[in-house]
Amino acid sequence: MNVPEGDRRVVIVGDSVAGITALREVRALGHTGPVGLIAADPDGCYPRPPLSKKALVDSAGDPEGWSLADLDVDVTRSAAVRLDTERRIVHTEGGHGVYYDALVLATGARARRLAPEREGEFVVRTMQDSTALRDRFSSASSVAVVGAGFLGLEVAGAAHRLGLSVTVVDTEPPLMGVLGPFLSSAVADRLRAASVDVVRATAPVVPYGDPIEGIAVDGVAIPADVTVSCVGEVPNCEWLSGTGIADDHGVAVDEQCATAVPGVFAAGDVTFRRDADGTVRRSPFWSHAVAQAKVAAAGALGLEPRCAPHDDYFWTEILGAPVKIVGPLPPAGAPTRVDGSLADASAVLEWDHADGRRTVVAFGAKKSVGWLRRRAADDV
Amino acid sequence: MNVDVDFDRCEGHGLCEDQAPKVFRLDDDGDLHVEFEEIPEDQAAAVRSAIAACPVAALRERA
Repeated sequence: MNVPEGDRRVVIVGDSVAGITALREVRALGHTGPVGLIAADPDGCYPRPPLSKKALVDSAGDPEGWSLADLDVDVTRSAAVRLDTERRIVHTEGGHGVYYDALVLATGARARRLAPEREGEFVVRTMQDSTALRDRFSSASSVAVVGAGFLGLEVAGAAHRLGLSVTVVDTEPPLMGVLGPFLSSAVADRLRAASVDVVRATAPVVPYGDPIEGIAVDGVAIPADVTVSCVGEVPNCEWLSGTGIADDHGVAVDEQCATAVPGVFAAGDVTFRRDADGTVRRSPFWSHAVAQAKVAAAGALGLEPRCAPHDDYFWTEILGAPVKIVGPLPPAGAPTRVDGSLADASAVLEWDHADGRRTVVAFGAKKSVGWLRRRAADDV
Repeated sequence: MNVDVDFDRCEGHGLCEDQAPKVFRLDDDGDLHVEFEEIPEDQAAAVRSAIAACPVAALRERA
């Protein structure tokens, strides 16, 4: 790059946690030159984890927006629609052209839908989604949730807390793919004890009706006042077509969070990594996005990053019980150690793996991530 | 600057501690402690990063 570092214009596209963390890190690393942010969420920038938990139960749980007042940032409130890597310009829906010397892509992902062409399918991704679902919950008595992953079970937990009759459907047992058989079974027990109906489908589940009236599971109709799809996400990278930066999996990044085009970095849910054997790895989790954003920001400034580009801490809530996890997933078989009671949702579970690594899970037990990390590193 | 903690929202994730380890400390039970009455100037940027990194929006800057 020929532009002196101090004058370099760093532009960040996207205003969720990856975008805002990159923005903050660019300033924290001492960059005093121009910084731009291109973002389109009508509610501004705010943390999303509460949207599938407290915010679905009560508007008092809505996240507060982040202030950018201290950052001296040029904000363009419009969706990015095209990237010109030759001229280094991001074109927006509103007709703006934003020039950059270094770019950080953090456009995230959107909820995958099962019936996009029909009325009445709810998803949870943005503040608007969450508010719409909360409003719908207030006049409903039953909900069908498609997908027994983290998001689906969080939505089920909120609906259960509101007193709705809840059915969760998936072709796999709850959280089996991520947490493995032991924890999956513990989660299923907790759901069953709370009378949340967990249904195992043998074929993909489809909503029926228009507007949607429920879901069809292996040919049997399960009517519901509300149908929520929690079936994964689609990276927002269509606007990058023609640049060679993105494919169907999203934006490929390396250990520096660099993309295929020099000067263009990426972080968060829009990204994926490819292992040496070609396996595509996506890690659409909060702490991972934070770590990637810091590395991408350093890359955009041509500096050494202050942390690794990954962080395996993540958490969820199973019917009000916080579950916090550090270490490789999914753990196979039974845990090496269990401290406390799983049935009372107050346990710490550990798996010692053959390669010397350790997975530590606080299942309802109040433990800090620092403690979990120290346990995982065998430092406590 | 100063920082307010909404302890009803705090779930003890500790990502604030990652961002500003001199200011935020979680004990082993996940209870958060703020080490300063008033945030020192050289910690302000780290604290603002911590506010942004909190996944439950439990931290807020007080002018």
